Amino acid sequence: EETGDENYEFGKGDFTEHACRYCAVQNPACVVRCNIPTCRKWFCNSRGNTSGSHIVNHLVRAKHKEVCLHKDSPLGETILECYNCGCRNVFLLGFISAKTESVVVLLCREPCLNVNALKDMNWDLSQWCPLIDDRCFLPWLVKVPSEQEQLRARQISAQQINKLEELWKTNPDASIEDLEKPGVDDEPQPVSLKYEDAYQYQNVFAPLIKLEADYDKLMKESQSKDNVSVRWDIGLNKKRVAYFVFPKEDNEVRLVPGDELRLRYSGDTAHPAWQSVGHVIKLTAQEEVALELRASQGVPVDVNHGFSVDFVWKSTSFDRMQGAMKTFAVDETSVSGYIYHHLLGHEVEHQVVRNVLPRRFGAPGLPELNASQVFAVKSVLQKPISLIQGPPGTGKTVTSAAIVYHMAKQGQGQVLVCAPSNVAVDQLADKISSTGLKVVRLCAKSREAVMSPVEHLTLHYQVRHLDTSEKSELHKLQQLKDEQGELSSSDEKKFKALKRATEREILQSADVICCTCVGAGDPRLENFRFRQVLVDESTQATEPECLIPLVLGVKQVVLVGDHCQLGPVIMCKKAARAGLAQSLFERLVLLGHKTFRLQVQYRMHPCLSEFPSNSFYEGTLQNGVTVNERQSSGIDFPWPVPNRPMFFYVQMGQEEISASGTSYLNRTEAANVEKIVTTFLRSGVIPSQIGVITPYEGQRAYIVSYMSRNGSLRQQLYKEIEVASVDSFQGREKDYIILSCVRSNEHQGIGFLNDPRRLNVALTRARYGIVILGNPKVLSKQPLWNSLLTHYKEHECLVEGPLNNLKQSMVQFQKPKKIYNSRLFYGGGPAMVH
Amino acid sequence: EEDSVLVRQKLVKVDPKEEEDFEREMKALMQESLESRKLELRSRPTLNMMIPMNVFEGSKDPRFVEGESGEETVDEEGGNGGQNKVRVKVLMKRGNKQQTKQMYIPRDCSLVHSTKQLEAAEVEE
Ligand SMILES: [Zn+2]
Ligand SMILES: [Zn+2]
Ligand SMILES: [Zn+2]
Repeated sequence: EETGDENYEFGKGDFTEHACRYCAVQNPACVVRCNIPTCRKWFCNSRGNTSGSHIVNHLVRAKHKEVCLHKDSPLGETILECYNCGCRNVFLLGFISAKTESVVVLLCREPCLNVNALKDMNWDLSQWCPLIDDRCFLPWLVKVPSEQEQLRARQISAQQINKLEELWKTNPDASIEDLEKPGVDDEPQPVSLKYEDAYQYQNVFAPLIKLEADYDKLMKESQSKDNVSVRWDIGLNKKRVAYFVFPKEDNEVRLVPGDELRLRYSGDTAHPAWQSVGHVIKLTAQEEVALELRASQGVPVDVNHGFSVDFVWKSTSFDRMQGAMKTFAVDETSVSGYIYHHLLGHEVEHQVVRNVLPRRFGAPGLPELNASQVFAVKSVLQKPISLIQGPPGTGKTVTSAAIVYHMAKQGQGQVLVCAPSNVAVDQLADKISSTGLKVVRLCAKSREAVMSPVEHLTLHYQVRHLDTSEKSELHKLQQLKDEQGELSSSDEKKFKALKRATEREILQSADVICCTCVGAGDPRLENFRFRQVLVDESTQATEPECLIPLVLGVKQVVLVGDHCQLGPVIMCKKAARAGLAQSLFERLVLLGHKTFRLQVQYRMHPCLSEFPSNSFYEGTLQNGVTVNERQSSGIDFPWPVPNRPMFFYVQMGQEEISASGTSYLNRTEAANVEKIVTTFLRSGVIPSQIGVITPYEGQRAYIVSYMSRNGSLRQQLYKEIEVASVDSFQGREKDYIILSCVRSNEHQGIGFLNDPRRLNVALTRARYGIVILGNPKVLSKQPLWNSLLTHYKEHECLVEGPLNNLKQSMVQFQKPKKIYNSRLFYGGGPAMVH
Repeated sequence: EEDSVLVRQKLVKVDPKEEEDFEREMKALMQESLESRKLELRSRPTLNMMIPMNVFEGSKDPRFVEGESGEETVDEEGGNGGQNKVRVKVLMKRGNKQQTKQMYIPRDCSLVHSTKQLEAAEVEE
């Protein structure tokens, strides 16, 4: 029989599976295993040189929350879980004991410990004893290694632990020795302005894309969730749809329609184990996911609880970027010589595209163009490469549609129109189609079930509805497939061949094909060539992403975007630091390429456009709307200055760290946001007119739950109000915007509000009015915010006090730290929202 | 003896910045865990917390419990945990089956508070 710790030998022989991955202590009584399927590493309960025990350190740093005890530990191989509900989150678990017996159980703090009925039972709830106390597991459950053992163990420092955890994110099998190896800590080669050739270009970007892909994969695959409750439904196409809540554990991962998830059920006495993969077809504001399952057979539709969900990561988009770079390098015909050299930053002789210019530059079905738009269209048509900068509300889409219209009329073949986001592609497809051109919107296969505002333009819709007699065979087979779920293998073959032929026919007959940048790498476009390509929102795409639509033979390219608004979202910090967050548009601007700037904005009340115009666009933004057109008639809202629908509402409430650990929330601001929303709603504004913007995910979640709990009007009204990050409002508008700044700590920075591009986006979403909530004392340290505050103060719009009695605030600003650095616009930090 | 002095020196070396950073992340994880459960209104649990009869019976005859669960593990302190440790039964579920295991916890632990409990534990010893 084993009688003590001395029995274990240290530092001898090979690595034992259950040895602490930090310090190699391997006494089974002292270690626990992280129970996250992708992790499963062992850690001991000693503190070593750090502030928490090794296991707690790991759980916190990796954001893992489940553990399993060793089989030779006093309790045997046991996954720690709530006795009542099975919750395995160790940060919620603790022991309670029976009132009269020496019996204990593990119970979760929320909700089980708070269930009223429990009070009447034989359990003593007053002494709930948390599993993790003083950053250490209860030492009587998981022993702390003896001093002897600790002394013989590896002496790992907190810094090493953090580095190791970072390394595990991309290489789960890495050991501490790997930290010493060359290459791990090395920063990748950063992007440059110019490249010798496309091979050098590929050498720089390929590793960055690889880094981002690895990071993305790891983040997404670690999103597994257990104990998910499911509600079942059947879609119009007769496919099974599962509804469930898949909360954002870590706000870095955003689920989008088209993502693939695996739904699993481990089985019970009445049901065999089951699993199916499906596509996300809808996401509600309450974070409910609608998943359309691929296979309808054997679905346990009479079960509603106990499901597990995993993310199925796809490398498609990254593969297509790598593929495009390769094509760019090896295929001479991928882009014209002029464009090749221009993109690489070489000096090239000026070139003019010889085209017959149209007599008028507008297009049928589109609004009349203004002077700067006409100038842009005219210039673009004569140049092989052009950049159009479209500040907020300046009619980028209309201008793009007019350009595409004239390009298509030049008879040089089909025009390819792309943007990084599906929303932007849909908008463009719609506008271009209204000029009378034949437009096909190509969607990813995984998004065919996702609702689209331009469904009639999509390829999959047209395939189904192309009503000619030749297609009757295809239709018959389609009908059969819909009814039976599947076809015989010979029918399936026939069906696929017919479908492919029809798709090709429809694509070939289009004047314009619209798809996302990544979609341009779709196999269905494999043999297509496009001489003329327009990329909208190009400042939100990474360079390799933007390259995908270009390498299909481009001779004339138009990049539309605004480098004074947010850039592409890069998750991997290393890749972002190396410059992957800089778009091709931005690099060309830095190389001295002139942009055409659209100068008339049609969105904002002139009072609202004044500051953004002066601060971000050298005062060049003109107003295409009048004060009268933006008067909110009949809306009784207490604007401090009548006819000036804006104010900065001084807030002194404290910020708190929240949810994701890197995020913040501010309760007083949230309470005031609710009051403002309620006042708007009372005065006759409808929910869809209001947008609440906050840079922090923590605050977003808090405002949503606060409004639905405390709002004095009907709950449904608050639920319909969109509360989102600055980033997700980019490219969109609302009549009224409420901006909650959150940060209020005088000793710390203001974090994400520091990026001028983010402030620009936040300030330019509103059409009729804007309310900003924040702490001027903190914000005024930043030069740009200082000038914003001064602007509001000068216009008597810096106020405090209750909403029905706003008074001008006399709060003193701080001196801004340094002179405003306009270089922050270019290649600025990652556009992540925390 | 020199060894133990060395260990103590090591244990006090905690970088305050690291500590603060760690504390922040840990609090956040805790808060997030709590809030995510509070929002899950639909899963208000039903209680399934009855103490199985064999536990009461077993308190008179410890062997009964061992026989019942079949895989009772004896803590390495064996029978001599008596002085400053109290033996408790940990009630667990494996699948739908209830199970008890025994474990020693310090006498001064907040879980051991009523004399009745102490007595119950001592009867066993
Ligand atoms: Zn882990
Ligand atoms: Zn350890
Ligand atoms: Zn519970």
